[in-house]
Amino acid sequence: METRISEKTVVVTGATSGIGLAVAEELVRSGASVIGIGRSAERCAAAQAGLHRLNPEPWVAYLTADLSVQGEVRGLGNQVRDLLDTWNRQALDGLVNNAGTFSYWLTLTADGVELQWAVNHLAAFLLTNTLLPMLQAAPLARVVTVSSGSHYNARLDWNDLQLRRHYNGLQAYGNTKLANILFTREMNRRLGEESTVRAFAADPGLVKTDIGMKGTPGIVSWVWKLRRSGGITAAEAARGICYLLTEPSIQDVPSSYWKHGQPKAASHEAQNCLNAARLWKISSQMCGLPVEECYANA
Amino acid sequence: MQTPENRSKCRSRVLISGASGGLGKAFAVECASRGWDLFLTDMNAPALETLAAGLRRSYNVDVITHACDLTDLDARLALFERIRVNSLRFWCLVNVAGIDYEGPFFEQSSQQIRTILRLNIESTLDITHAMLKFRDPCATFRIINVASLAAFYPMPVKATYAASKRFLLDFSLALREEVRSMGATVTVLCPAGMPTTPLCIEAIEAQGWMGHITTMDTGRVADKTLNAALAGRPMVIPGWVNRTLQLLGSIVPARLVAALVGSRWKSAQQKRSLDKQPAMP
Ligand SMILES: NC(=O)c1ccc[n+]([C@@H]2O[C@H](COP(=O)([O-])OP(=O)(O)OC[C@H]3O[C@@H](n4cnc5c(N)ncnc54)[C@H](OP(=O)(O)O)[C@@H]3O)[C@@H](O)[C@H]2O)c1
Repeated sequence: METRISEKTVVVTGATSGIGLAVAEELVRSGASVIGIGRSAERCAAAQAGLHRLNPEPWVAYLTADLSVQGEVRGLGNQVRDLLDTWNRQALDGLVNNAGTFSYWLTLTADGVELQWAVNHLAAFLLTNTLLPMLQAAPLARVVTVSSGSHYNARLDWNDLQLRRHYNGLQAYGNTKLANILFTREMNRRLGEESTVRAFAADPGLVKTDIGMKGTPGIVSWVWKLRRSGGITAAEAARGICYLLTEPSIQDVPSSYWKHGQPKAASHEAQNCLNAARLWKISSQMCGLPVEECYANA
Repeated sequence: MQTPENRSKCRSRVLISGASGGLGKAFAVECASRGWDLFLTDMNAPALETLAAGLRRSYNVDVITHACDLTDLDARLALFERIRVNSLRFWCLVNVAGIDYEGPFFEQSSQQIRTILRLNIESTLDITHAMLKFRDPCATFRIINVASLAAFYPMPVKATYAASKRFLLDFSLALREEVRSMGATVTVLCPAGMPTTPLCIEAIEAQGWMGHITTMDTGRVADKTLNAALAGRPMVIPGWVNRTLQLLGSIVPARLVAALVGSRWKSAQQKRSLDKQPAMP
């Protein structure tokens, strides 16, 4: 059962700049409806206007939420459902967990969680679980979480998952990107092989965005500027993500980690199922979700 | 000795003031992650409750919150009354609440100066006095006072603040000897700048590399300080650069240190105002 692209609805987080905005643009160009999520009402309005200029046909709306605050992530569930209702749509066909942040200094969120852990991992985990019933209502749905090649050097320290006691910004970032893959694997395992919802973790490659320059010390911004100059454009990175969102033929490909539309071996750490199950439990607890809940119908 | 068993038997708690600020939040999270029940106080009620809910979820600990303005005597009395009525007991007290206002003494309002004294000194002493009464009889009572590296030097532009922290430093070291026989310990924390607010981060940036090597993340500071308190140590100065600075400060005469700090501040101030000017085309 295929839904035509013009009948698909996709939620994209962090859709106000960088890769997320490029994904939203590509979707809208192809006629899909988009619900973008951003933290700044101003940037949300600007992005929405831009998308409308690209293609006035599909439905486009933005919701403002600070994804570092769990209460705001939870609140998105009802807001997305309301939008679907007004658009007369029954289901969500895709979710792109793209919002991500880098923090040089340790920052604790309102909930008392390390900022990168909260935005890059927990928000993706909680939003996916919150929107899951809407995704399951579609004939086929995809959850694409934007991970990164930085996960290759990462290793979770179970005694200090958020690196609160030994904080290092880059290491903490890599850990969240490893968590993205473990989450994706465990999600697929829990959903089971028959599931219509499939999760993928995407490595966008090195992309020329401003991620390393937001609220970071001068020297760090400078290093990022230098590094990203060898990168690809956000539009190129978006192509690989849209492929994972829409390509019907990959539904049964077991690989969880993809780069530029090709399956890729994730790190050894990322392939450990025990770690994936353990992380899921801890994340459920941190988000106040029932710890033992299992979505498999079997 | 404090063991997890006798703690849970008494269900005694850790009281943290200034708990929704940068360092206070780090203490709250670190204590919760160690499984300790908490009593958190700060000004902002919704922020306290959001934090408490997060800690309950993540660490399965019991958290009580009480929002109040600690510079207000009546508010403090109400806080103590709530503790008394509920027969709460404590094995640890972390006095984090403290304040400073930017700018030289004469540019601050008299209200601001009173607030510094009331919060940093008066309320810290008042709470410490009250909490000694509410201490858990079956545990060693651990007091942690947050002073500052500024406590070691006369600090131009932070004259009142630095002196208030000096007060806490001397008070803590003296109180430590007084309460030893009661089975209590006092640990005074003297941190350098910590990256807790955009303003602090800007100040750290303005100091250049010196800012970077003297700065330490709040999570690490909270962890190290709690370990030091459990070991009954008198003082914590996080970071070897900061310990060296403190040592130098103690050798060099106070008025020289004051002159040096003053001139460093001036140059940092100039650099900051230069940064803020728009670049020339
Ligand atoms: N750039 C790369 O080379 C690269 C490589 C590998 C992986 N990635 C991953 O790709 C994803 C997108 O990164 P990017 O390079 O496109 O960075 P970006 O341009 O900075 O985009 C990040 C997006 O997330 C949003 N965001 C950040 N914090 C948020 C919060 N607390 N609540 C809500 N939204 C928030 C940002 O909003 P604002 O517009 O308001 O800032 C922005 O829309 C991230 O997950 C990143 O880890 C990037």
